[in-house]
Amino acid sequence: MIVIANNLIQLLVILLLAPMVDGIIKKCKSLSQKRQGSPVLQMYYDLFKLIRKESVVSDTASWIYKATPYIVFSTAAVGALLVPISTLMPSVQFSGDIILLFSLLALGRFFMCLAALDTGSTFGGMGSSREALISSLIEPSILLSIFTIGLIADSTSIHQMMRAMTEVGNPFLHPVYILTFLAMLIIILAETSRIPVDDPATHLELTMVHEAMLLEYSGRHLALMEYGAAVKQLILMTLVANLFLPMDQLIPFAGEGAFILSIALYAVRVIFLSVVIAITEISTVKFRFFSIPNLAALSFILSFLGFLQYFVLGR
Amino acid sequence: MGLMLWLVPLVAVLLSILIKETKALHVMNVVCSFALVVIAGFATKSVMVSGILQYNLFGMLFYLDALSAIILDIVVIIGFLVSIYSIGYLNEELRRGEVNTKRIQLFYTLMYSFLFTMVLSLTVNNIGILWIAIEGTTLASTFLVGYHNNKHSLEAAWKYVIICSVGIAIALVGIIFLHLSSVTVIDSSHALRWDILYDHAKELNGQIVRLSFLFIIIGFGTKAGLVPMHTWLPDAHSQAPSPISALLSGVLLNSALYAVIRVLSIVNKNLGDSQFTGNILVGFGLLSITTAAIFILTQKDYKRLLAYSSIEHMGIIALSIGLFTPLSIFAGLFHMINHSFTKAMLFLASGNILQKYETRKISGIRGLLKVLPISGFAFLLGLFAISGTPPFSIFASEVSVFLSVFAEGHLVLGSLFILLLALVFVGIAVTLFRIFYGEEDSEERKPGETNPAGAAVLIVFLIIISITGLFMPDAMKELITSAQRIIGG
Amino acid sequence: MDSYYDILSVLILLSSIILVSHKRIKSYIKTFRIQSALIALTAGIMGWNSLMEEGRFDVLVVCGIIVLLKVIYIPRLLHKTYGSVEYKVEKDFFLNIPLLILICCGLVVFVYFCVSNISGLNEDHINLQVVNSFSVILIGLFFMISRKWALGQMIGFLVIENGIFVTAMFSTHGMPFIVDIGIFIDMITAILIMGIMVMQINKQFDSININKLKNLKG
Repeated sequence: MIVIANNLIQLLVILLLAPMVDGIIKKCKSLSQKRQGSPVLQMYYDLFKLIRKESVVSDTASWIYKATPYIVFSTAAVGALLVPISTLMPSVQFSGDIILLFSLLALGRFFMCLAALDTGSTFGGMGSSREALISSLIEPSILLSIFTIGLIADSTSIHQMMRAMTEVGNPFLHPVYILTFLAMLIIILAETSRIPVDDPATHLELTMVHEAMLLEYSGRHLALMEYGAAVKQLILMTLVANLFLPMDQLIPFAGEGAFILSIALYAVRVIFLSVVIAITEISTVKFRFFSIPNLAALSFILSFLGFLQYFVLGR
Repeated sequence: MGLMLWLVPLVAVLLSILIKETKALHVMNVVCSFALVVIAGFATKSVMVSGILQYNLFGMLFYLDALSAIILDIVVIIGFLVSIYSIGYLNEELRRGEVNTKRIQLFYTLMYSFLFTMVLSLTVNNIGILWIAIEGTTLASTFLVGYHNNKHSLEAAWKYVIICSVGIAIALVGIIFLHLSSVTVIDSSHALRWDILYDHAKELNGQIVRLSFLFIIIGFGTKAGLVPMHTWLPDAHSQAPSPISALLSGVLLNSALYAVIRVLSIVNKNLGDSQFTGNILVGFGLLSITTAAIFILTQKDYKRLLAYSSIEHMGIIALSIGLFTPLSIFAGLFHMINHSFTKAMLFLASGNILQKYETRKISGIRGLLKVLPISGFAFLLGLFAISGTPPFSIFASEVSVFLSVFAEGHLVLGSLFILLLALVFVGIAVTLFRIFYGEEDSEERKPGETNPAGAAVLIVFLIIISITGLFMPDAMKELITSAQRIIGG
Repeated sequence: MDSYYDILSVLILLSSIILVSHKRIKSYIKTFRIQSALIALTAGIMGWNSLMEEGRFDVLVVCGIIVLLKVIYIPRLLHKTYGSVEYKVEKDFFLNIPLLILICCGLVVFVYFCVSNISGLNEDHINLQVVNSFSVILIGLFFMISRKWALGQMIGFLVIENGIFVTAMFSTHGMPFIVDIGIFIDMITAILIMGIMVMQINKQFDSININKLKNLKG
């Protein structure tokens, strides 16, 4: 019973926190440009507004177009059930759930690509072809870095992996973790359509990738798509926060207090990561589309070197 | 005395920076190089009496034994003869307006830095400093190779500095591994010393020593011009001014081989037999001879042909040292001496030819014996000598190499070796001997030597290589024998 | 302590891979500077240790020289050389970048297998630092052959030199002091000479593309 309750808690936390993370990143960016920017909670308002509006569906669109927003959102929400926000609470876990997580995210993305093609608009087709290329380029390094951590933890269950990482002490004294961490940062940037790969703030036809796929959506469909993307972003950040910046081992006491403190620490790390992402976005420019393979290759070699160093060093 | 050996070339460098008069530069040049010969002669004498000459200078150990004394003598004698030759050579260039006093200053400055680094590499008892000195030879001679400052010589110089620097860097990796193999054995104040490494050779970590030998043979082999790391050599030798080509071929290649030989003796003592190093060296040697023979057969440029012949002879020396029997080491060292003198003479003669005919193409030269009686004659005899014809000294040493190969029972290797040498002989005969015949058709080219000092030097060289071909002076024999004992243990 | 060295060796390796992935000479110089700073940091840590434990300060002196030479002077020299040669095309490699990076990856694996087979280098486990620093040498060599501008080759040479220095530091905790100093002198002379040669090549060939250097053959 308590296991299910814990899962519900983490689902709720992620669902509630997700739009705010987006707001924090945007706030950081606008502050760096000496603008006031939109409020941190802006995305909540947007979602409310969109949900109340009617959504326009093209006549030529098939059922895929209508089903996709629900699929995208529900895959992200199920993913949120799988990623523990704290290692202290027992939650539903089984071996291989990290593979399930990434398959769910990939499923959402697959339907998003299909839906963009479905309406027959040129931007949608362009966006989905680019999205497919980027995700297939980044896929090997995701698998390699996940499995490197999995090898260290001797498990493919996310919770077990996070538990193992709390036991290594300071992961930044260990080359394997540093390399996989850097690889994961690049992966997050690519997966969440952040700046060196894609610019979330632009609607310029030549450069947009993710936005091009959402172009036809409106109303509550759009709200679901945007919400799904935000949840996915937070899921990946949670993974990084708990795998590479473990803090639960620092809590000296046990019980309810520890649990609450752990969630608070989690929030701190997520905010920290959002600031890191914002800084990356501020300090780099968007790559040319044909330079993205270079970035993917870099992330691949980072995770590969991490993998290799694991073999050399052991844990 | 050791200090003087290092100081004289340094003083010469300093003087050539300070002196701004062509004549005074020439005088300084002759005095300094002669002083080097005299000092080296005394040093050799005391090596022959006491075995090893060793002192501590500025934290570096001066160390001279029979092996380094042989190569040191080659360096200073050829250095002396070349410096006399370059007076005439540079005066001729000056007369044609190719160079000015400033360039001559540069020439002497770099030439003496080159000589200094070579002397340093041969007389220092620390493999790290030896490496530094050999890298120094590359750096000092880069601008000498590019001295003419045209497209071709720049290309040669760039290739030279890049390939040799990288090659030498690989040798440094080998030296690091050698150091690593000895860290637990040798006290850190004696680190990298030849004699200490050799004394403790048995205690070094065998696997790392073997690894380090691989790196060192690749690294210093690049500098020694072993195939396939030889690609800089024909370019650099053909584009450098002829006195420098003579130094590069006659002296520099030996210094690089000297480093290989030093490490070789440590490795062989460590491993207990010469199987491992022998296979590598014989392989490189055969490959060098074969490649050089093929390129000689099709060569159109006489200076490049001489350069390929240097590769061939380095291959012969590597092969005979690689066999590692007393006879073969003796033959290898003897061959090293003979090749140095013969090849230096040939390059100097080719410098005279180049200045007269202004072409490097074999097809551009006719009637050499009439146009340049002394240089042409020296060139002809030198070609006979370098391709191994009696009575010259190279014949004597090549025969000793054969004998040592067959004495070890390597019948196939020996026959292959003879076949390749015959091929080289044919190559030289086919491509080069035609330049001596025919009539000179150009009216402008008056017969007569342009460089009288150079012609005299050529005669001295001829006398040296003929004498050592007919009989070997006792002192030389004694020196080579003790060097052979140092290598073979 | 070892874990610091492990991380530094990984970062040095990473910097050389990033160097291979760069396209512009200015970024080569920047990455080289970062790599040298990492090496100086390693030498600094090592020097501090040897000062505390044995009272030797020569490694610290070497660290200072690295900072002066490789972090400050040589990058500045390269910038100067770069400024004085005319360059028309910025692209400077034959293969595309992902392929270059994957080849580097292969080199690291190759070194790993080689080192793991030489038992003399590994006491009880495989020496990670030697694997990483040795890979830097190979990547430097590979960088040299993958670029066609003369300046790229100079930087490749410097990376090889860096790799050798790091290998020496990690495997033997430093060569004898006098040898280190001599190597630095040689290196600075080599870079000065190559810099002058680059300018002369630029003057003679109107380009620093070394593919144009193919007059001498056979």
